Amino acid sequence: MMTIRESTRIVLPEGLSEYALDAQQDVELVLEGTGRSDVYLRVLDARKAVIRCSVAAGAQVSFLIWNACGQDVTFDEDYTVAKDGILRIAYGEVNDAGMKRRSFVHLKESGAYGLLSSASLVSAEKSYELTVNNEAPHTTGILQNYAVVLEGGQFVMDATGKIEKGSHGAESHQTSRALCFDEKQNSKILPKLLIDENDVQASHATTLGRVDEEQMYYMQARGLTVRQCTSLISAGYLLPVTRFIENEALKEALREELEKKMEEL
Amino acid sequence: MKTLEIKNLHVSVEGKEILRGIDLTIRENEVHALMGPNGNGKSTLLSAVMGHPKYTVTEGEILYDGQDLLKMSVDERSRAGLFLAMQYPQEIPGVTNSDFLRAAMNVRRESPVPLFRFIKEMESTIEELQMKPDLAHRFLNEGFSGGEKKRNEIVQMKMLKPSLSMLDEIDSGLDVDALKIVADAVNKMHEETGMSLIVVSHYDRFYQLVVPQFAHILVNGVIVTEGGTELIDRINSEGYDWIYKEFGIKPEAEEEVKRPVISLGSCAVNRGNAAK
Repeated sequence: MMTIRESTRIVLPEGLSEYALDAQQDVELVLEGTGRSDVYLRVLDARKAVIRCSVAAGAQVSFLIWNACGQDVTFDEDYTVAKDGILRIAYGEVNDAGMKRRSFVHLKESGAYGLLSSASLVSAEKSYELTVNNEAPHTTGILQNYAVVLEGGQFVMDATGKIEKGSHGAESHQTSRALCFDEKQNSKILPKLLIDENDVQASHATTLGRVDEEQMYYMQARGLTVRQCTSLISAGYLLPVTRFIENEALKEALREELEKKMEEL
Repeated sequence: MKTLEIKNLHVSVEGKEILRGIDLTIRENEVHALMGPNGNGKSTLLSAVMGHPKYTVTEGEILYDGQDLLKMSVDERSRAGLFLAMQYPQEIPGVTNSDFLRAAMNVRRESPVPLFRFIKEMESTIEELQMKPDLAHRFLNEGFSGGEKKRNEIVQMKMLKPSLSMLDEIDSGLDVDALKIVADAVNKMHEETGMSLIVVSHYDRFYQLVVPQFAHILVNGVIVTEGGTELIDRINSEGYDWIYKEFGIKPEAEEEVKRPVISLGSCAVNRGNAAK
């Protein structure tokens, strides 16, 4: 594992690579994906993290970006995907600190594929502004966001799928779901589809709701404490995000981290 | 000797009094039938004993094994040995039967149940209830048929080994074969562990399979009469009209307290609560 403490430029190696971002300052990462790369980025400390990443023609890059910061952090991310390139990103946001993220994926050339997914366990303020922009024909953009909002949590998911004029044959799909345990919580999901082309496929699905009291009662009636019920239901809600990760090692890493967090609940 | 003692219990739901002074004592190893027309408080009584938050106890006491149940949370009551097989078991998407049961077993133990032993026990219980072997890996009750849900309640009962089980219309939704399987499983556990039972059923058939020693008839929120199996036989052949006459009760045309959830499949049932 490589530790990143200051702004840096990395040509992503083939296969799995692990990075720990541990900087007590603003930092900019410039990443180039040219082949098949699987990247596990653990954010241990940062103030503002800027990520600029390009995925070359035909390249396949997957990220698991896990936030383990003890304090609030801001992410500003831009990705570009060239012809027939594939970009997959999974965000793991289950720490207790605040987070603000702007993430923009440009599907620049035909055949480009971009997937943004997130699993969030929200007990602070977590705010996402995610955009996948189809800028060429036959590009595919996907957004998959799942959140469990606990007491004291505030969740904002502003998710946009945009298909620009001339991007015929493009696809844009998104799902955003949030489950809230606290009745006083204040969460928002803003799903947007902006379509400026006729020959496209697009869809979105959104749910934002409270945990059913009858479900909690049922589980408690078998001896589980409120805490244990919360943990089991949250795990059931968030673990499916692992299915959006192709690489087995990254998939397993996310599963382990999520399970560990749920056990601590 | 674990005894459930219900004394002068009054219970309200949303401000409306449903139970108006219930006295009932269930000792170890006893099997009690709780009967009465719909909407007269049978489910309310069981739910109040379990501690459902919707049911407010306004007067009276419930003691189990000397402990004041009314001071205990739902999960504490469960861990004290109570089990309620529910009339409408909830579907919990995302939580597998095995994860759920293992967690529920572990909260009753000093150290976690070894995985291998858990799997063996789960397998044999699933087999005993003649359910599909993939039950363990399916989400809790999600997409289960009515009969599967009821049998799954008994799977849970067998695994959690309560000292007192309340079966709320466990026989509804079961076909004749399944009824027999469930009754056998209940009887076996009753014989092996001395578990006491409160059984709510509308059908004599189930009372022929799980035979109560005591019967209590609940009308308008009070127990109007009590007896043994002869009482069950009489209600089976004559209905409740003679009770109304004999005890001078005017049946209230009450609404059902608990409305059944009509199963339209998990999507429809879960609509609005975003549990999926």
